[in-house]
Amino acid sequence: MAEEFLVVKDLHKSFNDFKAVNGVTFSIEKGEIFGLLGPNGAGKTTTIRMLSTVLKADSGEITIGGHSVRHEAEAVRSVIGVCPQDLAIYDDLSALENMVFFGRMAGLNGKDAREQAMTNLKLMGLQDRAKGKVSKFSGGMKRRINLAIALMGNPRLLFLDEPTVGIDPQSRNHIYENILGLQKNGMTILYTTHYMEEADRLCKRVAIMDGGQIISMDTPHSLKSQIGSPEQVTLEDVFLKMTGRSLRD
Amino acid sequence: MKRALYITLNEVRLYLQDKGDLAFSLLLPIVTFALMYGAFGGQTMFEATAVVVNEDGGNYATLFVEQLDEIEGIDVELQTAEEADARLERSDLLLALYIPAGFSEQLASGGKAEFIFKQRGNGGQEGQILASIIRSVAEEMNQEFQVREQVKSSLEGTGIPEDRIDFTVQKLLGEEREQPAVGVVEEVVGGSPDFISQYLPGIITMYVLFALTIGARTIVEERKRGTLERLLTTRLSVGALFFGKFMASVSRGFVQTVILLGLSYAVFRLFTPVSFLESLAFAIVYIAAASALGMIIASVARSEEAASWIGVVFTMFMVMLGGTFFEISEGSILEIISKVSINTYANDALRTIISEGGSLGDTALPLIVMAGVVVVGLAVSRMFFKVVSGGK
Repeated sequence: MAEEFLVVKDLHKSFNDFKAVNGVTFSIEKGEIFGLLGPNGAGKTTTIRMLSTVLKADSGEITIGGHSVRHEAEAVRSVIGVCPQDLAIYDDLSALENMVFFGRMAGLNGKDAREQAMTNLKLMGLQDRAKGKVSKFSGGMKRRINLAIALMGNPRLLFLDEPTVGIDPQSRNHIYENILGLQKNGMTILYTTHYMEEADRLCKRVAIMDGGQIISMDTPHSLKSQIGSPEQVTLEDVFLKMTGRSLRD
Repeated sequence: MKRALYITLNEVRLYLQDKGDLAFSLLLPIVTFALMYGAFGGQTMFEATAVVVNEDGGNYATLFVEQLDEIEGIDVELQTAEEADARLERSDLLLALYIPAGFSEQLASGGKAEFIFKQRGNGGQEGQILASIIRSVAEEMNQEFQVREQVKSSLEGTGIPEDRIDFTVQKLLGEEREQPAVGVVEEVVGGSPDFISQYLPGIITMYVLFALTIGARTIVEERKRGTLERLLTTRLSVGALFFGKFMASVSRGFVQTVILLGLSYAVFRLFTPVSFLESLAFAIVYIAAASALGMIIASVARSEEAASWIGVVFTMFMVMLGGTFFEISEGSILEIISKVSINTYANDALRTIISEGGSLGDTALPLIVMAGVVVVGLAVSRMFFKVVSGGK
C-alpha cells in the first residue's frame, strides 16, 4: 500500500450555527492527484483552508507529511503550496518580483528564489514576461502566475482550489499538462474544480462533497459505474445525480 | 526576523510602484507645511497697520508720521477723515489716529498739541498694542521737543545763534538714542514660546498620526488582494507579518516627518542643528507608537472604508485631547482624560525641545510612554488579528 501523505479524520468546522464541514474523513497517497468536488457552499474551500493551516478546525485531526496541522503548523507550512481560488498576487509588481517574494516567504534564499522563480515561470510559459508588471497580464497569464507562485519552495503537497476558473482553453490545457508533470515528479495534489471533465482527466480518485460531508469517494471510473456504463456516462452525470439539480447560489 | 524584513521591503516596493500614492504621501507634508506657512506667515513678531488721518500736514505732524513708519512691524496707512470715519462706522477698523489741523503750529508756538484716537470699544487687542506704540513715539517726540525748548530758553540772551543751539541739541539727542543712559540687555535662555513653536508640534503629531492611521489599510488591502491568506500558508508567522508591516509604516512616517521638520527648520528657523536632530529622534519614537496604534486598527478593520473611518475618528480624538488647538487647563477633568492621548506626551516633548530649549533627556516620560505604546500596540494588534472574527 502506498504511503499516505495527507490524512484527514472526522473534520468539523462551524460558523455560528452553520456547519460548513461536518465529519469529513479522507486520505491522499503520496504522489496522487485527489479531486475534491462539490457544488457551491459544499465545504471544499473551508476544508482546504483548514488543511493549509489558515483556519482552525473545531475538531478532528489533520496530518500532512507526518506533521499535525494543529500542533506543528509551521512544519506543515514548510511542505505545502497553495494556489487559491481567487488570484492572490501583487498587481503592481512584476511576475519575477512576485515569485521571488513568495519564494523568500517559503524560506528560500535570494539566489535560490530567483532560480526557482525563473524555472517556474518557464514551466508556465511566462519566462519572456518575467519582468512585466502583472497588472498588464491577461487573465490566463495571471492564473498561471497564481499557480507558479504556489510552486515556490518546492512543496510536497499542492492545494489547487479551482485553478482554471475563467481562462481560455489554451491556458487551461497548459495548466493541466503542468499539473500532470508535477505529479510525475512525485508531488501530491489536492484539486478542487467545478469542471468535471478536468477531474475525470486528472484525478486518480475524487470525493464528492455536499452539505459539508463527503457523500461519495472513489475513482472516476468506479463512480461512473455506479450509475451506468463508464463509457456512456460522465462524471458530471454522477455529480448531478448525487448532489441534485437544485441551484446552490 | 528575515521574513519581517522582506515584508517591509515588499511594502516599500509596492509603495514606490504606486506613483499616485507616492506623490500624495510626499506632497502631503509639503502641502501641510504650506498651509502652516500660509496660516502663520512665517512671522514671529507683532505686525500691524496704523491708520493715520493727517489733517495738519505740517512739519511736526509729518515728522511724527515718519518716526511711526520707521518702527519695525508698523505700516502707516494715510487716510482722509471721511475714509477713516466710514471704516470705523462699519467696524472695518477698530482704531485710527487723527492729527488735527493746527497741530504743528501749536507746537511751534510753544503751546500744547494733542492727538486723537478714535476707536470702537477698546480698539481690539491689536489696536491697544498699536495705541501703546503710538503713545511711546509721541512721548519720545515730546521729550525731545521739551529738551530743545528748555535749552533754547536757558541760552536765551547769550548771543548763541539759534541754528547752533538746534544742531547741538540734535547731536546730543542722537548720541543719547545710540547709547541711552538706561539700557536693556537681552539674555536668551531658550527658544521663544511663540505661536509657531507652540503649535508646530501639535500640527506635526496630528499629521503623522493621521497619515499612519490611514496607512492602517495595509492589512485590509492585503486581505482584499487575497495575498494575506496566501502569506499565512507560508512559513511567515503572524508576528513577523505585523512587525514587517509596522517597520514599513515607520519608514514611511519617517520620510514624511523629515520633510515636514526639515521645511520647518529651513523656513521658520525654530531649531538649532542639535534640537533638530533631537526632535527627529523623538519623532521616530512617536512614529513607532503611532504605527503600532495603526496596526491595531489594521487588525480589526475589515474594509478599507472601515480602516479609514476608524483612523480619522481615532486621530481626531487623540488630537483634541492632545491639546493641539487649545490649551488644556491644569487640574481639569480634561487634563486627566488627555493622559490617554499619545499626542499629549508627544506635543509636550516636542515643545520642550523646540520652544523651551530642552534636550531629549528632558523627555524621559514621553519616551517611556511611547515605547510602551509600541510594545503594547504590537502585542494587542497581533492578538486582535487572531481572535477577531474574520481575522486569521
